[in-house]
Amino acid sequence: MSSIDLGIGSTATFIHLIPEIFLGLLGFAILWTGVRNIGERAISWITFSGLGIAALLVFFLDPSSGSAYSGVMVFNNFGKYFAIIMLISSMFICYPFSTKNYSKSEIFYSTLLFLNVGMVVAAFSYNLIALFIAFESVSIGTYVLSSFGKTRRNLEASIKYFFTGTIATAFILFGASFYYLGTGTFSISSSALSHVINSPEITIALAFLIIGFGFKLALFPFHQWALDTYDGTENSVSAFLAAGSKILAFMVILKVFLSGFAFDHTAVFYLFVILSIITMTYGNISALSQSNLKRILSYSSIAQAGYLVLVLAVVAGSGSPTSTVSEFAIAAGMFYSLVYIFMKGGAFITMNAVPKDNVELEDVSGLGKRSPATAVSLSVIMLALAGIPLTGGFLAKYYLFLALIEGSLWWLAVIAILNSAISVFYYFRVITYMFARDPKEGDGAVPFSAKAPVVAAAIITIALFFIGIIASFMPTLISAAGGIFG
Amino acid sequence: MYIYGWLIFITPIVGAFLSFALGRHDRRLAGPIASLAIGLSLVFSILAFFRVQSSGPIDNSYNWFFNINAGIYIDHLALVMVLMVSFVSLMIHIFAMYYMGEDPNRHIYFAETALFTSGMLGLVVSSNLVLFFLFWELVGLCSYLLVGFWFFKPNATSAAKKAFIVTRVGDLLFLIGMAILYFSLMGYPGLTSGVSPLDIPFLINHAQSIASYVGPNTLGAVAVLFLGAAAGKSAQFPLHVWIPDAMEGPTTVSALIHAATMVTAGVYLVARVFPIFYYSAPFALYSVVAVGAFTAFFAGIIGIVVNDIKRILAYSTISQIGYMMAAIGLGSVIGYSGVSYGMFHLVVHADFKALLFMCAGAILIALMDLRDTREMGGLWRRMPITVTLLLIGSLALVAFPGTAGYFSKDSIIAASWIYFEKSGSPYAIIPWILLAGGSLLTALYTFRMFFRVALGKPRSYLAEKAHDPKPVVLIPLMILGAGALFLGLIQPYFYRYVYSQAVVPSIPLYIEAIPITLMAIGIIVTYFIYGTERYKKIDISKNLGYRIVKNKFYLDRLFTNVIAERFIAAFSGATASFEASYNRGVEGVGDGTLNLGAFFRKLQNGVIENYFIFLIIGISVIFIIIEILGVL
Repeated sequence: MSSIDLGIGSTATFIHLIPEIFLGLLGFAILWTGVRNIGERAISWITFSGLGIAALLVFFLDPSSGSAYSGVMVFNNFGKYFAIIMLISSMFICYPFSTKNYSKSEIFYSTLLFLNVGMVVAAFSYNLIALFIAFESVSIGTYVLSSFGKTRRNLEASIKYFFTGTIATAFILFGASFYYLGTGTFSISSSALSHVINSPEITIALAFLIIGFGFKLALFPFHQWALDTYDGTENSVSAFLAAGSKILAFMVILKVFLSGFAFDHTAVFYLFVILSIITMTYGNISALSQSNLKRILSYSSIAQAGYLVLVLAVVAGSGSPTSTVSEFAIAAGMFYSLVYIFMKGGAFITMNAVPKDNVELEDVSGLGKRSPATAVSLSVIMLALAGIPLTGGFLAKYYLFLALIEGSLWWLAVIAILNSAISVFYYFRVITYMFARDPKEGDGAVPFSAKAPVVAAAIITIALFFIGIIASFMPTLISAAGGIFG
Repeated sequence: MYIYGWLIFITPIVGAFLSFALGRHDRRLAGPIASLAIGLSLVFSILAFFRVQSSGPIDNSYNWFFNINAGIYIDHLALVMVLMVSFVSLMIHIFAMYYMGEDPNRHIYFAETALFTSGMLGLVVSSNLVLFFLFWELVGLCSYLLVGFWFFKPNATSAAKKAFIVTRVGDLLFLIGMAILYFSLMGYPGLTSGVSPLDIPFLINHAQSIASYVGPNTLGAVAVLFLGAAAGKSAQFPLHVWIPDAMEGPTTVSALIHAATMVTAGVYLVARVFPIFYYSAPFALYSVVAVGAFTAFFAGIIGIVVNDIKRILAYSTISQIGYMMAAIGLGSVIGYSGVSYGMFHLVVHADFKALLFMCAGAILIALMDLRDTREMGGLWRRMPITVTLLLIGSLALVAFPGTAGYFSKDSIIAASWIYFEKSGSPYAIIPWILLAGGSLLTALYTFRMFFRVALGKPRSYLAEKAHDPKPVVLIPLMILGAGALFLGLIQPYFYRYVYSQAVVPSIPLYIEAIPITLMAIGIIVTYFIYGTERYKKIDISKNLGYRIVKNKFYLDRLFTNVIAERFIAAFSGATASFEASYNRGVEGVGDGTLNLGAFFRKLQNGVIENYFIFLIIGISVIFIIIEILGVL
């Protein structure tokens, strides 16, 4: 591969950008299929395998070369890990299913590919401007994706998402400019920051960036779009919004706050603690009285975001982002992200098997008889979400809470565990509906066309078990977590 | 490749799911799929055998969580178990395809038996006690499901519950033992990274230094707790009460439980961690031999008065497991040979006990599930093949010279004599007395059953009409029968294979002759009483001793009427009222939480203007928090 001088101080090669270039070209190729008459099935297969290939390309990326393009992008294992996770979560959305039929499907799939370019760039960029552009390209892509569908509900969901999203954008930009004011650079590599500590500009930047990225992570009180949007969009798009897009936000927050604000975080420690406690408690308690399955899952994903923020609390509480405790906490967060995309993505995908747009709990009653495979898959996913042993969800929570205890935040661990206990109620309610109740009148066996998602769900189920059993790569994650500082 | 080792227990799991999933649509598929899966795991066991032959034990494990590993460890001891379990289970599965016949739920049956087998195989090959325990529980769960398989029979469900609860006592002891072991080994200096304190290879290879680090008494306590676990699973006194009731399940399930997959697990546990027993304080192995020898004798006594054909076999299992336990317990004097003796008897017993149970199954099918031996009789003429096979099994059970049972059981009795000679204490004769006396009892209850079944005139209408099943379904039984006759030939090789230093015991001929003589006396006596109609004239039902034995020494009554009803029920009554008020409190909290959820729901009303108001308030609060935190 030839290397060219971009004239910005360092010699860059395009070899690191191969995944992005590949995804972009594939996106254009898919747009072009719109003028040919190529079936949606084929397009979804191409997108699906293209994303898989991109994940492989990222996997074989050499992380040793370090930063490129004057430190705008840093190729490390941390970024690789998240890039692969997000690509996998995008694969859920275009799982070659047979029931959906979008008009202009080529736009749907090429948008998906384009926003994946943004995700991969975001995973590797260590510059607020590049990060902002990548992040925004993903956001715009998801506005488009969430509007796809046949009903007005989709449009409403998309519009709500768009309005609140623009506010988030404003906050991010505002925060970024304050960051520049305080530090004199847009780079968030921790090395750039050593000389400026706790100036007012930095604090304002911190607050604005938390708010801006907190929108995407659907933290309380920026969560309200999430419910309407997850609820109103197609199941597969919800799966992506709740899994991939959220993990992106989590990754960006980790990177910005741990590397970009790599100072003593103890002052904002309580902010993270309050955000996390309120978010998870609000999510869990609101889910209790819901009867709509999709809303239950939406609330649960808000609660999960609260768990993710616990990682930041541990790091902030430990005083130094480079301490062993912090690295363990970051690794726990990374592990949680991996399990999370399978749990949440799987939960939303599985609902595709129920041939109904807006799935109420009543609609899954007796599913154990009507479609045992779906019911078992959904049960395993629910067990994983509730954190029952032998599933990946258990280990993910276990490491997270272990990180809390290692950071001597046992009281926070108690609150988190109480929250998990509350959540067991509504997860198990779904299981009881499926197995302990008789089907509603007129609900027969699940038709064959809906069986395709069942296959996906079954694969995810197995993945969850697999992750739960083989957890030996935690040390690898811990070493990758050390690379977060650019 | 280590993969065979894993596939040994993974194939039956897959088979279990497949036979359920496909069997739901076509019941005929369930049996062949399950059998195929077990057959595959037999193939993988054989592959593993050659692998271990060529390059030593397979040890392959991964970190699971914290410092607990998950993996497989297959050495010679595990191999003989794996081969035995997969082979016997395969035979039983094949026979079960006939036995379960047209049962409407047989896909569930086969899924459960395959899972049962995989639980046992997984237990045998696991490399860590935690994983071992998980499979141990899986075995317990499957036995619960299978004993209660005919759930419409109230006896079956209560028997399943009993089996589950009684073995649970053992499981608790196992957990406590593991916990003590784990915590006392936490600071062990030889614990290199990647080695978990509960790894089986670690425990058995470093047992001596572990004993000196932990202290022989603590380790002995752990060993005794493990013995308690084994007693629960292997139905040793006083936790044996579940097994006679467990006869309510299908007979092939009894065959599985008694031969391959359940009761041998306890013996295997003790054999597996034998070095821990060996190097801990002497009371550990004394209690093993005491429990084993006593159970061998005690269960034999009850066996004499039972009339139900399956229950007779159940008591014989308890008694024979006692022999195995005793053999391992003798290890305090005869060393690792004890394990070899115990394991050989385990394998041989698995063979002939599976045979006996399946013969009983064939008889029960012919007799419409009539299980009372008093109403059988004259079956030899009507079911010649089955009853001949039953005779072969019975001869092996009583250790008739020449059969496999003779080679395996007489070595144990001989070893107990060596134990007495070498240990020098006069009390050391007790195991020999119990075990040798046990061979008289074995002959008595076995041939009492056999003569009542085979000889005389039919004593019921069903027995008159009985006839052999098609010979083809009896092929697995014939294979097992051949094993029961000829397996003894491998005795010296087997002993050396399990532990290379093990030898066939040799003792004076006159001592050797005693158990054989007792056995012969037993057979002759039973022939005179039960081979003819003579026993009808004997009425001992008024005899006090008979009544005590008939009531199984009142142990069941002690457990249910005294312990459960008097103590536990009274205690739970006292806690119930506390719990009721506590429940009200919990419900109140739950209701409050639900109401809070309903309130939160109102905030989410779908009007985007309200969201913005909410946002502005929220963002302001965040700024206020930052202000209060004193950052600005």
